[in-house]
Amino acid sequence: MMSALHAAMAKHSGIRATPQRRRVAVVSLSCAFGLTGCAGGIELPSLLYLAVGTNSDQTIDAELVEDIGARLKLLESSFRQIYPSTRFQFAAYPEDEIKPAMARRNGAGLGPDLLLINGDTAKQLVNAGLADPFPLTPTLANLFNPGDLERLRLPNGDLAGLPVIIHSQLACFNRKRLPDPPSTLQELLEASAKGQNIGLSIELSTLFWTAGSLGATDAWLRVVQDKRLSREDVNSIENWTTWLQNASDQQRITFYPNQASALTEFSTGRLDWISCSSTNLPRLRKSLGASLGVSNLPSGPGGSASPINRLRVLALGRSSSRQGRARALAFSRFSVNPLVQRSITLGSQVLLPANRFVKVPVQSSGTLQAMSDSQEASLRTAELANLLHVDDPRLDRAQTLITQLVFGEISPQGAAKALIALMEAKP
Amino acid sequence: MSQLLLEIFGWLGYLERPAVVMQLSLVVALMLGTRAARRRRLLARLPVAGYSPVGLGLLALSAGLLGLLRQPTGLLQLLGAVWLGWYALQLLHRLLALWLPAQASHQLESRLLRPAYLVIAVMAVVREVDSLNDLAVAPLGELFGTQISAGKLFQAVVVIYVVLVGCGPPAAGLAWLVQRAVGMSEGSRKAMELMLRYAVVGLGLVAVAVHLGLNTTALIAVAGGLSVGLGFGIKEVFSNFVSGLWLLFEGSVRPGEVLMLDGDPCEVRKLGLRATLLWRDRDNAELLVPNQTFFTEAATTYTASDRMRRSQVSVGAAYHHNPAEVIALLEATARQVPRVLPDPAPKALLLSYGDSAINYALRFWIANPMDNVGICSEVNQAIWHAFKDNNIEIPFPQQVEYSMVWPPEQHRPNTEHH
Repeated sequence: MMSALHAAMAKHSGIRATPQRRRVAVVSLSCAFGLTGCAGGIELPSLLYLAVGTNSDQTIDAELVEDIGARLKLLESSFRQIYPSTRFQFAAYPEDEIKPAMARRNGAGLGPDLLLINGDTAKQLVNAGLADPFPLTPTLANLFNPGDLERLRLPNGDLAGLPVIIHSQLACFNRKRLPDPPSTLQELLEASAKGQNIGLSIELSTLFWTAGSLGATDAWLRVVQDKRLSREDVNSIENWTTWLQNASDQQRITFYPNQASALTEFSTGRLDWISCSSTNLPRLRKSLGASLGVSNLPSGPGGSASPINRLRVLALGRSSSRQGRARALAFSRFSVNPLVQRSITLGSQVLLPANRFVKVPVQSSGTLQAMSDSQEASLRTAELANLLHVDDPRLDRAQTLITQLVFGEISPQGAAKALIALMEAKP
Repeated sequence: MSQLLLEIFGWLGYLERPAVVMQLSLVVALMLGTRAARRRRLLARLPVAGYSPVGLGLLALSAGLLGLLRQPTGLLQLLGAVWLGWYALQLLHRLLALWLPAQASHQLESRLLRPAYLVIAVMAVVREVDSLNDLAVAPLGELFGTQISAGKLFQAVVVIYVVLVGCGPPAAGLAWLVQRAVGMSEGSRKAMELMLRYAVVGLGLVAVAVHLGLNTTALIAVAGGLSVGLGFGIKEVFSNFVSGLWLLFEGSVRPGEVLMLDGDPCEVRKLGLRATLLWRDRDNAELLVPNQTFFTEAATTYTASDRMRRSQVSVGAAYHHNPAEVIALLEATARQVPRVLPDPAPKALLLSYGDSAINYALRFWIANPMDNVGICSEVNQAIWHAFKDNNIEIPFPQQVEYSMVWPPEQHRPNTEHH
């Protein structure tokens, strides 16, 4: 057929078809057919492009990509029972680099159809015009906790993304070295005094659980809400900063510059206890096997810990074709239906469902129990999380103060005073 | 591997998006259009090099129009930048031609600049459609128990390529420094340069294997297995390689040496991994001779201990000239030829008594064996002039013809007729 076309072209144009001209003609026609997708018999693959944001405690390596791929494969195979020809293609980006990456890809019309990212990041992307608001129907909205949806609302009422799963903050310990995990902060200090190696990350988001155990979360909420602080509020914040500095003075409690370093040390057996995210569990299970234990974060005199759990959402990309957008919406709806949510939870044992009607079978697994408890405890910080976003400039300065506090450069009282002053100021 | 291929195949799905198709169509149409216009010289007044800027200008205009229509133009801009970069490389070619010799300029472009540019351009385009981090960790398979990812393999290929292509100038520089410091010969310098290159390439390959995390025990086992394979399958290649290394160490066949090949002096230009490149002055031919030829067969060299060659021309002088005078004249003539070395002094000899002349040989020494034919010509010309000036005859063969009568018994000598 092609040679007939070339001959006809040559005849029509009156030009003798030299081999070089024929090559050019073949390239041109191939390009034309390829680009328009109208070549008989050639059908473009039906793909759903996903961008997956990774948190700071996750390194994009073969293991992580394989892990994400395996989880998506399960969803893909289920989804293909309804939409047979659809394939998934994902690209992982660190959450703090996803904004420029999406700006670049959207600018070329090559952005993903869907983004699986933290709720906060989704709000940033929609605000920046790099993702589209999610069209929420009342039926769909009914599946989620109103509080979760509220946290994803933009000032104009748009929804930044559809909640899908929850990553929980937990405590991970080495059963061989620490048969009984500490259930309180006091037990944590006692364990370190007995020779157990404890690791904590200096990152504010992974360290804030201690504020709940020391009863400082309500005070922090009042600070951020710019309410008048009582003496008790200031004392509770000072208790928290004092505990942090005391902990850093302990010989066997080590503060790491980031969560990834603490995880590496723990997975190689040099640490016996760390706080961890449920997303770290597959990797830790591979390295520690049956020695890995998972429990709740230690409570304290102020009550239970205040873990910061991450609500992961599906946000809509802006470059999709009509068919691509339809696939993205279909998959979003599919991923929150109770059956799929249950299989995600049971299949991975590291994720909690966002669908409030899916009951987590906590009796079947200690890990699920700990995740469920963590989710309940995180409600203490829900309002605070709603007021503070990851891109809040105050958090960077607060991080600097915490670092100075842990290294003993400033006193607990000074740190508390500076932190209060910082968070009271509007960004 | 299949995962990577699936990933790449998956990029075709972007062609479902009208904005992508629009951008790609514009770029392809403008590139093909520019090419066709340049081939047919549609703009008669425009020089050939001016067509690409016109095409690029139209591309920029298209991007501007699409931008006004609030359509994505990132891909268009990126491909335009790639095109612009390629055009800049062509301009650079002209500049390089001014600064560097043609061969060096060609090698720099074809081996370094263009491949590097293409790799960077492809990575930039891939970055638009996918995450390079993801692609880098895509598993390709196992090698000696080590998981090889696309990124690791890419790094390994780049390092090997850069080592192979880029180790030449540093090795040459180091060899030059050593030559200056130690005072080694030119041939030794070239040999050292080659050995340094082989050493760097060898170290580079080992470093790449270590970077890939290959199991050294497995590598040794494979090397053992390979040695059997080498014995049967590629023994010629291996034999030539080892011969080349040996010749370098031995110093008998180094770049700059002069060897006799089929009766012609040839200069060694390059000692390669498989073959030696020789240059034959007679017809400016370049000969590729497998290294093991020099390793296994006898070879004549003029440059083993020094570069001098003793040359010889033959000449005949008439019988009536005093041989002593002819010999003295020949030696004096050779001394006057500029490219004949005065020491050792030229030597003339009476070789034999020929049919029509006494045969003399004039032997003399020259500094460069490759100049032999030219200097012999100069000496022969000088002899002709010297003989002419001194009335020495170079006789022609003389023959006397007379008729015979058959049968021989009836023949009478010519003298009897007179």
